[in-house]
Amino acid sequence: MLLFRSEAHVERWVRQWQLPRGAVLSPQQAWRLAEAWYGPDRRPAEWRRRTVDETEAVLAELGLTGPYWSLRRSPGDS
Amino acid sequence: MDAPASADIDARLRYHVYETTLQRGSPPSVAELRHATGLSIEVVRAGLARLAAGRVLVLQPQSGEILMANPFSAVPTAFVVETPSYATFGNCIWDALGILAMLRAPGRIRTACGCCGEAMDVVVTNGELAAAAGVVHFAVPASRWWEDIVFT
Repeated sequence: MLLFRSEAHVERWVRQWQLPRGAVLSPQQAWRLAEAWYGPDRRPAEWRRRTVDETEAVLAELGLTGPYWSLRRSPGDS
Repeated sequence: MDAPASADIDARLRYHVYETTLQRGSPPSVAELRHATGLSIEVVRAGLARLAAGRVLVLQPQSGEILMANPFSAVPTAFVVETPSYATFGNCIWDALGILAMLRAPGRIRTACGCCGEAMDVVVTNGELAAAAGVVHFAVPASRWWEDIVFT
């Protein structure tokens, strides 16, 4: 995940590298996602990675829904 | 005495990895983990491999040393995170923010536009984004983040 000066710079970058355009978040959305994702202390023995359902719930709480943010692969995905 | 179960070893290693990383900003080496845990090199390496298989850590492909104790990077990246205690590296802009979130500390991320290289800073103070311009681009759909985590 990279920071760009603007959406125009994202467009130029994906064209240059012939990549599909991904998802664009504001820095504020990315900060909220970072807080939710990395907030829990990973040192305690009881810590564990979130399940797919739990992860999708974290994303959904931040408004990140739809196929791009789904952790489940579609049958047609290669 | 019975040998500790794999889950117990992995929990001990995870504790030491994150305790060290949070204290100084860089993950411990295999040798440091051996010293800290009293486990043999072989047991440490096997534990790190299990943690990597479980997507808790990412290891360097040749040496087997830690590459990522997410959100921290063990190697220099384009995402420098300046905290009150040290400067360190995030794996990407999300992880750079994640370091300040994990530390619950103010700080400044020094990076550059992924397209043109113009310098860009992001500042966090009092648990809030104090200064940030631009947009964050996720190039890989969530279901594929771990297919090539170094690219992601």
